[in-house]
Amino acid sequence: MTGTTPAGGPPARSRGVIALLEENCTVCMLCARECPDWCIYIESHKEPVPGHEYGGGPDPAHAPAGRGRQRVRNVLDRFAIDFSLCMYCGICVEACPYDALFWSPEFSYAETDITALTHEQGRLREWMWTVPPPPPHDEGSPPPLSQLPPVS
Amino acid sequence: MTPEEIIAAVTSGLPPAVRCEADHHGVMLAVPAEHWLAALMFARERLDCDFFDWLTGVDEAGEGLSVVAHVYSLAGRHHVLARTLLSRSAPRLASATGIYRGAAWHERETHEMFGVEFDGHPHPAPLLLPGGFEGHPLRKDFVLAARAAKEWPGAKEPGERDVPRARRRLPPPGVPEGWQPS
Repeated sequence: MTGTTPAGGPPARSRGVIALLEENCTVCMLCARECPDWCIYIESHKEPVPGHEYGGGPDPAHAPAGRGRQRVRNVLDRFAIDFSLCMYCGICVEACPYDALFWSPEFSYAETDITALTHEQGRLREWMWTVPPPPPHDEGSPPPLSQLPPVS
Repeated sequence: MTPEEIIAAVTSGLPPAVRCEADHHGVMLAVPAEHWLAALMFARERLDCDFFDWLTGVDEAGEGLSVVAHVYSLAGRHHVLARTLLSRSAPRLASATGIYRGAAWHERETHEMFGVEFDGHPHPAPLLLPGGFEGHPLRKDFVLAARAAKEWPGAKEPGERDVPRARRRLPPPGVPEGWQPS
């Protein structure tokens, strides 16, 4: 892939760069934990969910009926992939249960400074625009679950 | 050649100490180290395995170190996997470069990664590691020092800003309990 790009562009399912759809990320940490290279850095904090505030009463552990305890959600502060460490195994893409990580065929992001190979959240999000639609299923492969007849 | 034909040829053509069995792609030869070159020569000449695919080491932990070589017949489209078990303390094996010249790189790599000495190798210099590197990185007892120096990015829980002290003390995989960088 360092010479001329083949006619018609890179082949299907090429592993050029990993893109992040941050809207889908729930900060579950699974990708960072599965990564064999330790090259995914995630920072996050917890925030109260509006509309689910604690309903009152002197003791938050014994909230009044109907208004459970304060709900919180995880908010992503930083998501970065260090492509100088990444070995392009794709385990993070496979591990993500929320469809937040995707392969993009883009490969021309060489740098002269190694630290510039750490792509932060914004840059990873930009790569999303280069993610191709999934290729059609191979001939003879089982139909997608959505096309299976309902279980009676 | 079918696996059965290969097994018949090996049984009649090689010493009985060479064990032979079919595996899912071809035939696996378990070769004592002293018959290593004879077995590879037999594979090249009598089994028509003219294509040297690869040679590498396997750390079998308590049992020792294995050296495994994979050769293939382009005309007959059959595979032979030869393996030999060496002692862990002083792994030595005759170099296969006289039979398959392409084994030279693979033996250099196996030498630096597993510490196997290949007698008769024409140029046993390190292949991938920098000069002065200590240890054999693909042995199971090799300490992954970089893992101890760097904090595991997955140690944090979702929504957690900092890793609590108690959890930080767990040694990462590949680093023995209580190991300290010297």
